[in-house]
Amino acid sequence: MANETVPVSIPDNLAAKAREKGWPLDLVQQALAAGAQPAQIIQYMDQGVTADQARQFLAAQAGGGKELSEEIRAKAEASAWPIELVQAAVNMGAAEGDLMRFMEMGVTAEQARQFMAQGGQAQLDLSWMNVPTEWNTRARPTKHGLTLDAINIGKYGEVPDVWEHQTEMPRGAFPIPGVEGMGYSIYQKQEVWSDACAPLYEESIQRRWRPATDVPWTTIEPLDDDLERGACQVMTYLSEKAQLEADVLGRWEPEISYGYHEVKLYLATVIFEGARAVEVFRKRALSNGGGLGIQSPGWSHRSVIDARNFSEMATVQMVLQDSLTLAEYQFGEMYAHNAAEKFIFTRAMQDKARHLAYGVSHLKYVLLRRDDRREEMQRYLDKGETALLMDDRKDHATRPAWAIYFGGGTANIGEGLRVYNQMRRRFIEQYLARLKWATLDRGERLLPGLRAFIDSE
Amino acid sequence: MPTFPSVEWFNAIKDLVNSDPAFRQLGTVDSVVGVKVGNKVYELTFEAFECTNVREATENALRDMDFWLEQPYDKWQEMLQNIKRNGAADLQHTLNTIDLNMPDGFARSHDGYRRDAFYRFNQSIQDFFNASAKIDTQFAEPAAVA
Repeated sequence: MANETVPVSIPDNLAAKAREKGWPLDLVQQALAAGAQPAQIIQYMDQGVTADQARQFLAAQAGGGKELSEEIRAKAEASAWPIELVQAAVNMGAAEGDLMRFMEMGVTAEQARQFMAQGGQAQLDLSWMNVPTEWNTRARPTKHGLTLDAINIGKYGEVPDVWEHQTEMPRGAFPIPGVEGMGYSIYQKQEVWSDACAPLYEESIQRRWRPATDVPWTTIEPLDDDLERGACQVMTYLSEKAQLEADVLGRWEPEISYGYHEVKLYLATVIFEGARAVEVFRKRALSNGGGLGIQSPGWSHRSVIDARNFSEMATVQMVLQDSLTLAEYQFGEMYAHNAAEKFIFTRAMQDKARHLAYGVSHLKYVLLRRDDRREEMQRYLDKGETALLMDDRKDHATRPAWAIYFGGGTANIGEGLRVYNQMRRRFIEQYLARLKWATLDRGERLLPGLRAFIDSE
Repeated sequence: MPTFPSVEWFNAIKDLVNSDPAFRQLGTVDSVVGVKVGNKVYELTFEAFECTNVREATENALRDMDFWLEQPYDKWQEMLQNIKRNGAADLQHTLNTIDLNMPDGFARSHDGYRRDAFYRFNQSIQDFFNASAKIDTQFAEPAAVA
């Protein structure tokens, strides 16, 4: 390749692309003179190679190649790669880091020579190797291992307030034009974000459990028929609720754009944990001579499914509804009739507390950034609480079933109802405490039907 | 024989769980947990897969902890004796059951969000106390913690 400018004609489409991408025409001429094909140059431009990068590349070619570092010289000697071969590869555009990696992988000099003889990048298009993403990223494992937070470094850790891409391009990758949109609808960070997402995801993965083999199923012994019926109705209800949460989140998952992958990953674990809860409560119902009970009226289900935006869903499902579910798991653990049920409720409690941690911290994130959404969130909770109270009125099975479970049978159902009211009181107290942490004062807005549980004692 | 409550006693439990693969298998625990026994306060720090630190603390330090466990001294004794007798807490003496049985709660916090760490890491904290079944505990005279 010569240093002097050779007059080479530039095809019209290439000239137009060069103007669009800010490549001077003399640079394009230089590239053509060096043997590059017009289509290849257009491809480089579309991949985001800048004029400066191209100029540097051509200058390196013209000067007989970059000087090799001491590191690659030593590595080449150790790997029995002749230095001329390494220099030739670098002149063809290979990065030193890649070549050293090939050496470490055991690629022999002969293999490299054959690859280059085939034309190297001339036949295999390796232009993607010049992608201008952030390179030399070296995430290090922490005490928790190589976590999502640990790899969120440099540009890869920058989470934009608004995500501009409609495709599945990973955050930090380089976009290419022409890719079809994936139909996401959520592009704003405040609509889905919580700083707790990444650690909650890791916690969920680390604290996973397996119903089939971890639960001490053999500790379950026959219960009196009325108690078994109560237990099975409770399990039916809890299994149904868990399925709803998994279904609802499954619908929202594809709405969230890829810029917020920490949220998508965490919600994937919530969906999985919903599935696990469906599984484990169903298994308990079908493991001790009983069966499933009747379904729920489903008023609360609709309040979640009908949510029109993500924060509405998250607030109603993962703050209001999950506060109730966590209280149910707490009392389920306390009144468990065997070690298997104790185990199930303890582990389900851990999962549910994580769901709440996301819901509450997301709500706080929204409210601290969008004060104008406070009343909106209050209204979602108005609706959610109303539906919950409607379930209380229409559901003739769940309350007595819990009372039988707590009381140990129908003979002691009065005591069971007292415990049931305690459970609801605890739910409301913890629900209000969590909202307060999220900076939402629900004290005056709490619906009277729910307030009755905390005013009664 | 370590005396409950003392840094020595908590360190003995810490060493037991940190060398127990089953504790690690429960998953990561990231929480600063207080234990209040009478006028004594202890701070247990859990990080990743282990209990990393135990120290005696003050009442003021409770504010900076995720939550703390507090019950009358005789109830602490009952809980630990139950664990010793059964090898682990029986159905009536789990941390959650004790929590629900106490009007002011066993797990307390100044923070409605951080208190939920009690539930998120419940089995790990339970296993921490369950490990006390493996040591012989001497209980301090009530006057020493009053």
